[in-house]
Amino acid sequence: MFWAIFPILWVIPFIFQGEALVGGMNSPEFGELAGTERFVPFVLIGAIVSTYLFSSLYGMGGSIRMESYWGTLEYILGSPARKISVLMGKALSESISSTLFVATQMVICIFGFGLTLAVGKILPILLTMLLLVAGLYGMAIALAGVTLQIKESRSLVHTIEYLFYLFSPIRYPVGIHPLIASVSVIIPLTYALIAIRGVWLLNQPINALWRNIGILAVLDVVFIAFGYSIFYFMEKKVRKSGAVSQY
Amino acid sequence: MDISRNAIIAKGLVKTFKKKARRKYLVGPKIGKDELIYAVNGVDLEVKKGELFGLLGPNGAGKTTLVKCLSTLLLPNRGTALINGHDIIDDPIAARESIGITTGGERTLYWKLSGRDNLRYFAALYGLSSAKAHERIDYLLEIMGLQEKQDERIEKYSTGMRQKISICRALIHDPLVLLLDEPTLGLDPSFSRFIRSFIKKDLNETRGKTILLTTHYMDEADQLCDRIAIMNNGKIVAVDTPENLKKSIPHDEVLEVKCVGTADFEGIGQRMYYRTENGVSVYRIHAEYVEEIMSEVIKAADSAKILSMNVTKPTLEDVFIHLTGARLTGESREE
Repeated sequence: MFWAIFPILWVIPFIFQGEALVGGMNSPEFGELAGTERFVPFVLIGAIVSTYLFSSLYGMGGSIRMESYWGTLEYILGSPARKISVLMGKALSESISSTLFVATQMVICIFGFGLTLAVGKILPILLTMLLLVAGLYGMAIALAGVTLQIKESRSLVHTIEYLFYLFSPIRYPVGIHPLIASVSVIIPLTYALIAIRGVWLLNQPINALWRNIGILAVLDVVFIAFGYSIFYFMEKKVRKSGAVSQY
Repeated sequence: MDISRNAIIAKGLVKTFKKKARRKYLVGPKIGKDELIYAVNGVDLEVKKGELFGLLGPNGAGKTTLVKCLSTLLLPNRGTALINGHDIIDDPIAARESIGITTGGERTLYWKLSGRDNLRYFAALYGLSSAKAHERIDYLLEIMGLQEKQDERIEKYSTGMRQKISICRALIHDPLVLLLDEPTLGLDPSFSRFIRSFIKKDLNETRGKTILLTTHYMDEADQLCDRIAIMNNGKIVAVDTPENLKKSIPHDEVLEVKCVGTADFEGIGQRMYYRTENGVSVYRIHAEYVEEIMSEVIKAADSAKILSMNVTKPTLEDVFIHLTGARLTGESREE
């Protein structure tokens, strides 16, 4: 429940801050950058989608850390099971809990903040979310590999989390600064948020989604390949260094 | 290398760890040099199919590192090993399928899960179908006498019961080779006796499992093993049956002196070592003719009060001292 409410609690100060700065819930200046003047729904969607960012970055690496602490990691790595299957199992468990959190958030947003969602828009949004999750789990697999070696990876995860917040349109449109706009092109969250907000807030036709979904799919392949390579490399490294037995 | 006769073959295994020199500050020059530690140093080993083979050595001898290399958890720097004919480097998955492993320490299970659920999870990791896993778990819990406790969380188990579950886990996929690293470490005498008997009679003699057992308890190695490799500083210094190892030392009698207080027996006999047991000093003095040194021993006891003097046969610890000049740090246990 904490994780369901936390992103909403996190977003409320930004809503009040925005209201104080622009003098209301809508802003023409904001609209020029974001394509919508409705600041509150823009940020709420960012908060909902970023739940998957939280869970994927902290989930898999944290789970590896706990296995290491419990002393069970050696038995997992010493089993004939394909490690990618074990990681996917952990990812699936994270996805289910994240989806429950997102559903709770949606209910809070719809009944608490007046956000509306037409039934016909659910499927394209789900497709986009699915592709986003795949890309984020590519990154999570890489972080799980790094956790095998360095154990306490929270500082690294925090850094990545803040970089994602800085360079993707979770709280603000990336057009706010040229550097942020440039870096945002390699972050899957950017395309997912643009696509989801396009359908949800801007009433764009489904056809307008395909470009962002295509890019998201390509980034997924890159992130998953990158994540698995890092995990494979780190697994070999810890077997060489003996770090697999340390906790 | 005879694959048909041997379940475990290690050839020139070397495993080193780098001990990095410290820096005075976060950056800047190191104090001293990086050190390369040879945890396993050129180990050649052949364990026959169905053999109960012991690795005996003090803490830090390299036993656990060797077991971890054989179990594919550590990649050796040089050399390789075959487990049931599968190369641990080229074909680690097949090697893992042939191995069941227990390592020392209590924290190797999910404490918030029941004993049965722990075994179910590991059965899945070894690719057992649900029905097969159910059947194996029932069987293993029964022979370990844990049916009544199977649904209780591991955190409520005693140390001995956790070790039984660890052994069940090692056996869940019915492997041909068992690597048991200090299986009785920290257990009370009754659990130790049960585990030893189970390893020897049930697993080895009845089921014909090949077992590589590491221990620093000499009496455990002596009682259980068909053959023993004595390990020190990463090297195997001798391999033979316990009886032959004990025969290998040049004198077949040892004078064991128990006394209160410390005595100076240095220079008496050919070799002497000392340990304490429950506040009593125990000296084992090796000599060619024990009778000839008794008067010297009584004289040298000085202020120490001698409780007993016994002429005993050499133990594996005597063999270890004879071979390495050091002594095993683990005490033999009262049972």
